[in-house]
Amino acid sequence: MNETELITRARAGDGAAERALYDAHVDRVYRLAYRLAGDDDLARDFTQDAFIRAFERLDTFRGEAAFSTWLHAITTSVVLNGLRKVKRLRGRERDLDDARDVAHGRRDSEPDLKARLARAIDDLPEGYRTVFLMHDVEGYTHEEIGAALDVETGTSKAQLSRARAKLREALKDFAGDWV
Amino acid sequence: MTDFELEDRLRQAALHYHRPPETPREELWARIDAARAPRRGRGGILAFRPRLRWGIGIAAVLALGVGLGRLTVRAPAAAPVPARETNVALQLATAQYFDRTEAMLAGFRADAKTGRLDPTFVASAKDLLSTTRLMLDSPAAQHDPKLHALLDDLELVLAQITQLKSEPGSQDAEDIRFITQALEQRGVLLRLRAGVPAGPARAAAQGVL
Repeated sequence: MNETELITRARAGDGAAERALYDAHVDRVYRLAYRLAGDDDLARDFTQDAFIRAFERLDTFRGEAAFSTWLHAITTSVVLNGLRKVKRLRGRERDLDDARDVAHGRRDSEPDLKARLARAIDDLPEGYRTVFLMHDVEGYTHEEIGAALDVETGTSKAQLSRARAKLREALKDFAGDWV
Repeated sequence: MTDFELEDRLRQAALHYHRPPETPREELWARIDAARAPRRGRGGILAFRPRLRWGIGIAAVLALGVGLGRLTVRAPAAAPVPARETNVALQLATAQYFDRTEAMLAGFRADAKTGRLDPTFVASAKDLLSTTRLMLDSPAAQHDPKLHALLDDLELVLAQITQLKSEPGSQDAEDIRFITQALEQRGVLLRLRAGVPAGPARAAAQGVL
């Protein structure tokens, strides 16, 4: 059974068809949610929400784009909105953490590339970070990213370029170690 | 090292950033299926039709009116609010309440794992507890056993959170553990999400009026 038929059946409330659609796409959805959230509980919550919303809104899927593109647009919306909520709630705590890090010079003394890179990625503006993770880490095309984030392909390319530049700048002192 | 080589190294290193574990397929499906089961065949709780989009904004005003009305029970009766409009207003108020409560409890659960709770959770819980008690008295909860049971559980969890000390780092770890256990065992967040309108309902709601 092809995906169009599965969608038709899922629209009619066929649980097996929903499961088949889920099986076909859950890995990529969960991976993206995890890459963006960095927390298993949140990634599970976001994946669950994304599929529930997709199934509930299946009637609005017109098939003009691929189902995966439509699903990933829902996923990125769920994840980014969810992370904003969590961020707001954690805002005060993060400020304290940052102040503590500065006081202890943790950024300057962090010797590990992966940890430094992780902090540099965390520090990217949301748009740059999302595009960088989707493109360079999870292998999405600019067309897929544009559709998921509802931006032009050129915007996605520009954001990736700026994200890479910021990361290069943040990690330039490591360049010598890699020669 | 050229820029190209540096970027390649960066990409290699970035693969370790938030590296996902294996997808918990079955567990996730069980959660999705459980949330979907009650909805199959009857649509979402708040399946607003497009032509109602402009109505949601008005409903927000009505929700306020209904709330005020509940506080002034003995006031002389004004012109009755049409039942359909009241229903939409209550649905909207419920959706907003679920949304806020879900965000607060998800944040609480995430912070509980770190052992450092933000004291603002206590204040948020007090605020939401008042709303929960109002909602428990609402006709919607009286006529919907599932909603009533969920609100009962929320009242319990929120009341426990309000009992925590509000000074940062002063909370009892065991109390926090009991609260998160109650959240998990009762499936509170899952049930909350099942009650929240599916799809970008708030986005849809923006156009209802």
